[in-house]
Amino acid sequence: MVAEGSFILLAGFFALLFIGMPLGVALGIAGVAVLAIEKLGIMAFPTNVWTGIAKYPLLALPVFIVAGMMFEKSGVAERLVRFAEACIGNRTGGLAIVAVIVCMVLGGISGSGPADAAAVAMVLAPSMLKQGYPRPYIASLTAAAGSTAILIPPSIAFIVYSVLVPGVSLNALFLGGLIPGVLAGLSLLFPAIWLAKKHGFGKPDPNVVRPPIWQTFKEAIWGLMAPIVILGGLRSGAFTPTEAAVVAVFYGLFVGVFIYRTLDMKKIYEVLAQSAEISAVVMIIIALASVFAHAGSTVGTFDAAAKTLISFTANETVMLLAITVILLIAGMLIDGVSIFLVFLPILLPIAKTYGWNLTWFGIIMTMNIAIGQFTPPMAVNLMVTCKVAGCTMESTVPWVLWFVLAMLCSLLLVTFVPEIALFLPRLMGDL
Amino acid sequence: MTDHADIQAPGLKLGEAPPAVSESIERIFGAAVMGILCLITFANVLVRYFTNISFAFTEELSVALMVIGALVGTAAAFAGDRHIRLTFLVERMSIPKQRVLELFILAVCLALFGLLTWLATRYVWDEYRFEVLSPGLGIPQWRYTVALPVLSCLICLRILGRFVRVARTVGA
Repeated sequence: MVAEGSFILLAGFFALLFIGMPLGVALGIAGVAVLAIEKLGIMAFPTNVWTGIAKYPLLALPVFIVAGMMFEKSGVAERLVRFAEACIGNRTGGLAIVAVIVCMVLGGISGSGPADAAAVAMVLAPSMLKQGYPRPYIASLTAAAGSTAILIPPSIAFIVYSVLVPGVSLNALFLGGLIPGVLAGLSLLFPAIWLAKKHGFGKPDPNVVRPPIWQTFKEAIWGLMAPIVILGGLRSGAFTPTEAAVVAVFYGLFVGVFIYRTLDMKKIYEVLAQSAEISAVVMIIIALASVFAHAGSTVGTFDAAAKTLISFTANETVMLLAITVILLIAGMLIDGVSIFLVFLPILLPIAKTYGWNLTWFGIIMTMNIAIGQFTPPMAVNLMVTCKVAGCTMESTVPWVLWFVLAMLCSLLLVTFVPEIALFLPRLMGDL
Repeated sequence: MTDHADIQAPGLKLGEAPPAVSESIERIFGAAVMGILCLITFANVLVRYFTNISFAFTEELSVALMVIGALVGTAAAFAGDRHIRLTFLVERMSIPKQRVLELFILAVCLALFGLLTWLATRYVWDEYRFEVLSPGLGIPQWRYTVALPVLSCLICLRILGRFVRVARTVGA
């Protein structure tokens, strides 16, 4: 029963996935097929669809999506870019540094990579092109920097992980993701500046007037405050994650309507309607994945798969590297949240066998996923930034691989020095 | 770049007609659900900080609203092919072949959500028969869960609609 059920579940899922079935449906069909064939009780299908998403902690997901979108539509990216330009000044690779830093700050407001990358690429691409940055370079850099959004709190990926893994606190994940996220972002600066110097683009432009710091700061401060409001609210224990999200929504609404005066009724409606569908697309996958997970754990697939993997190697380091490779490949193929849903049931028993800290494990899984988001051929972030920069994904390969390499280095650092991730949550008493 | 759902999943370009029944129905509904969710949650924060009244029973309402929003958004995403899917391999095929494959895929989706509609109806019927009460407010649970069969029926209609539209492009 284990072998037959597991085969139907996994082979069925992957076959459907590769022919282009919507991910949720592929998970659902595989799960339902196992429930029916192994006679595990088909009523588990509607029950799990409902209970899979009818969870209060999951409410943070749609609300954080609204918050991120609200700030983005209010034009916070442009103002942050101007302030960063004023601070960094006119130097070789200056705009590349601006791109990375603004992506990281925006990551502290929104929790999804592609939206973050697209916002920064749209604002910066025109001026970067003027300074001679090649289009594929712009696409690669912003895609890579945007991927830090799922590491720097708030993060949609962490919300899903904490809902799926009982006993891991979302506060600890948010706090733990901060240093690895910043580390990953900063590591991109090395190839960014080195490539600019080597190929001689991004040179200081004598005609550019450096914007006055104080004036740009006054505009940007409202955006800069957002991550502080969110993290500070969570930190002080004043807000639960969902409450912090909703406070950010109304703070963004206030800034957009009264300070920047960029949001009108039509734009607010757009924000709500688009966030509704973006959250729906993620949540239906979570709902159907819980059918998949129920079928898999009832039939014993995940334990069997975990045992098989462990039987290949008893060496902890080899296992960690193997997981990294598997997740990187998966990250190239499907989007981040879905990776948690597909791989967590198999990887959690392994993590427990080795006694790994589950907060740290969530963070390195998320780092893996972040890298996958801009590694061709299937990279959600890169797809978006290529569209904005006006180049093909193939043309980015010689550039983007350097950024992949840089972020891989920081991933390995966090993998082998877990304290980088765990230090902050431990300090704050979240572990 | 205004269409954000596009950012998540660009879908296949099969050249089918736009939906005959506008997706704005779902969009308005989805936006309303999101707006109400934010308002309830924010009211919760305010009430908790400025008074001693517990507003916690709204959790149950929020959660039900969230599920409703998810199902409505799923329907719209089916109409516009904006669900997350792996299109890398399929895009290597010729457009006529992609269209035929798409019909098969939509048929499978329809089967899944058709089954969900039927089983969810039985699920809600059981809750009604056995008078299951909700844990928070103590009102009949079926008043929440009835959304599942009704909205999965809506999802079926959206899948069917796109099936018909893609089918018209085959051989055309």
